[in-house]
Amino acid sequence: MKTSSPASPSKLFSHLYIEKSIFDHPKTEAIRTKFAASRVVLIDHYKEVFNRPNQSFSAQSQSKKLILAQRGGKFLHEGSQYSDGFDHQQFFYASSVMGCLYDCDYCYLQGLYPSANTVVFVNLEDAFAELLPHLHQDTLVATSYDTDTMAIESLTHQTQEWLLFAREHPRLHLEIRTKSANIKGLKHALPSERVTLAWTLSPQYIIDRYEHATPSLEKRLAAIREAISIGWKVRICIDPVIYTDTFDLIYPDLIDTIFSTVDPDSIEHLTLGSFRLSQSHLRSLKKLRRSDVAFYPYTVYNEMATYPETVESHILETLLAKATHYLPAQRIRTWQRQS
Amino acid sequence: MIYLITALDAEARPLCDRYKLKRSNALPYTLYTGENTVLLVSGMGKTNAAMAVSALLGWRLPSPGDILINMGICGAPVNYPIGDALLIHQIIDGDRHYYPDILYAHSLAETSLICVDIPQSSPQEYPVDMESAGIFQAASKFFKLHQIGFLKIVSDHCAPDTVTKEGVIRLIASHLDTLDYVSGLLTDVQTDHALFSQSEREEIDSFKSHFTKSQGDMLEDALCFARLKNSDFSLDLFPSSLPNSKRERGILLENLITRLTL
Repeated sequence: MKTSSPASPSKLFSHLYIEKSIFDHPKTEAIRTKFAASRVVLIDHYKEVFNRPNQSFSAQSQSKKLILAQRGGKFLHEGSQYSDGFDHQQFFYASSVMGCLYDCDYCYLQGLYPSANTVVFVNLEDAFAELLPHLHQDTLVATSYDTDTMAIESLTHQTQEWLLFAREHPRLHLEIRTKSANIKGLKHALPSERVTLAWTLSPQYIIDRYEHATPSLEKRLAAIREAISIGWKVRICIDPVIYTDTFDLIYPDLIDTIFSTVDPDSIEHLTLGSFRLSQSHLRSLKKLRRSDVAFYPYTVYNEMATYPETVESHILETLLAKATHYLPAQRIRTWQRQS
Repeated sequence: MIYLITALDAEARPLCDRYKLKRSNALPYTLYTGENTVLLVSGMGKTNAAMAVSALLGWRLPSPGDILINMGICGAPVNYPIGDALLIHQIIDGDRHYYPDILYAHSLAETSLICVDIPQSSPQEYPVDMESAGIFQAASKFFKLHQIGFLKIVSDHCAPDTVTKEGVIRLIASHLDTLDYVSGLLTDVQTDHALFSQSEREEIDSFKSHFTKSQGDMLEDALCFARLKNSDFSLDLFPSSLPNSKRERGILLENLITRLTL
C-alpha cells in the first residue's frame, strides 16, 4: 500500500469545517489548537456541509465532524410544548450549538437535523445581545437544548460564558441540561440560585442500549454529588423514560440507586416523563432504522407520539410511588399529555 | 458492488487488468463489468461525467452497501509531488462546493479539489480535475455521501501537455493498492444495511398484501421493532392460512403486532 501522508486523524472531529469569515475568531483559534491533528476545510457557510442532502445520520454518528460557524439568524427560540418552562414569565432555548456529541437512539435531533455533525456558533455574544431586551422580566433560558453543551464545554466554554452573563442579569434564570459527567467548567464559577443543572439519568441497561457515547450512570451520579457539594442547584430528570419489558424492575431500582448516594433534600426537583416525540420527528427516526425505540406502537395525540395511555399511566404511577418514598410530591414534576 | 469511474481510457486500463473486468455494451459509454465491480469511462468534462454516471446508476441502481470511487489523475500546485495519491474532501466548482463524507481514519493526504472546464496551465490554489463536480452531482442522487470517494493521483504541475497516455497508465497502476485501501475503508463504514433479507422481504410483502396499507404499515413497524430489539428474531410468526373475514384478519393482525412488540 502506498501512502503520501503519515497522519491518521482521530475519529472524533477528524475534520474541522470552518467558515472563512470566522477563521481568525479567537474561539475558532482556540478550538483549532485543541484539534491540531484534525484536517481543516474552509467553507463559505455551515449549511454547505450541515444541510447537504443524502447524508447518513447513522454512519456519521460513528465519525462526527465539527463545523465552526457564525450564527446569522436568531439564537433564541420559544420553549416547546414538550418541555417544562417551570412557570417563568418567559421561556427560551438558545441554539448556540447544533447537534450533539452523544448519540441517543431516542433523540429528536435525528429527526430535526439532516446531519450527525456538530455545529458550534462562535459568536455567542450575539445571543446575549438578542436576550437583553427580554430581561426586564423573569426569563428562563435553556442553554443546552438542541445539544448537550456540557459535553463539549471543554471545547467551547459556552456554559461558563452563560454563567458570567447571568451573574450580571438578576432576572435571568438558566437551565443547563446534561448527561455529562464532566463538571470541570463549573468549578471555576460561583454557584447561583438562578442556575439549575439538570441531569438526565437512566438505568444503566437503558444507557448501554440506547444512550451511546454517554457517561455511565455511576459517573453521572458522581458529577451530581460533586455539583451539589460545591453549591449548585441540581434537578434530576428521569425523562425520557423508555418503556421496556424490564421497566418494572430497572426504573424503580434507578430511583433507589440515585437516592442511596444523593441526599433527596439536596436536589431542587425530580422530573419524570415518558418518551414523547412529535410525529414528524418520529417518522424521520423510523427512516433511519437504527433502534427499536422508533418502532414501538405509540399512540399519536395532537401530532405527538407517546406511549398508549395505559402504559404512560403505569410508568408515572410506578415512578411516582417510588419517588415519593424520598421526596414530597410538590418537588416531583411530571410530564403528561394534555388531553 | 464497487462502482469505479474514470474519465479516460488510459485511467481505466490498469483497473480492468487488476479486477479482470470485461467490456460490456449495456450502455452507450465505455463500460466494463466484473464479479463485484463495474467500471465506467465517462469521458472528459463535468457534463459528460454527470451524464455518464447518471446513465450507469439508472441502469444499475446501487444498494445500501455499495460504494462509488472516482479514480483519476489531476494537475496540482508544485507543493503536491507528482505521483502522490490525494483523497478529496471538498470539490470546488465555481461558487458551488461539494463534500464527500470521509468517515474513516486513513493515511492518505487529503485536499480540496477544483473542478475546472478546461485543462489548466497556470497554478491554482488546489489540485484540479475536470469531472469530479459532475460525478458528485450525479452520484449523490443515488448514493449517500459516505458511499462516495474521490481518489486523485497528481500527474503534473499544471502542465497538461506533459501528460502522456503511458504516463497515466503508469501512475494509476502504481496506486492500485491505494485504490483497494480506500475501497476497503469505504466499504467498512457502510452501516445502512437492510433489516430483512431478500427472502424475508418477499415473505413480509406477501403477508402484508392481505391487509390495508395502514395495517401493513403497522405490521412493518412491529417487525422492525422486533428485529432491532433482537437481531435473532425470526419471521416464523406468520400463519400459513388467513381467515376470510376482514374482521378476523384484523384481530389476527392486532394479536401479531402485540406479540411482536412485547
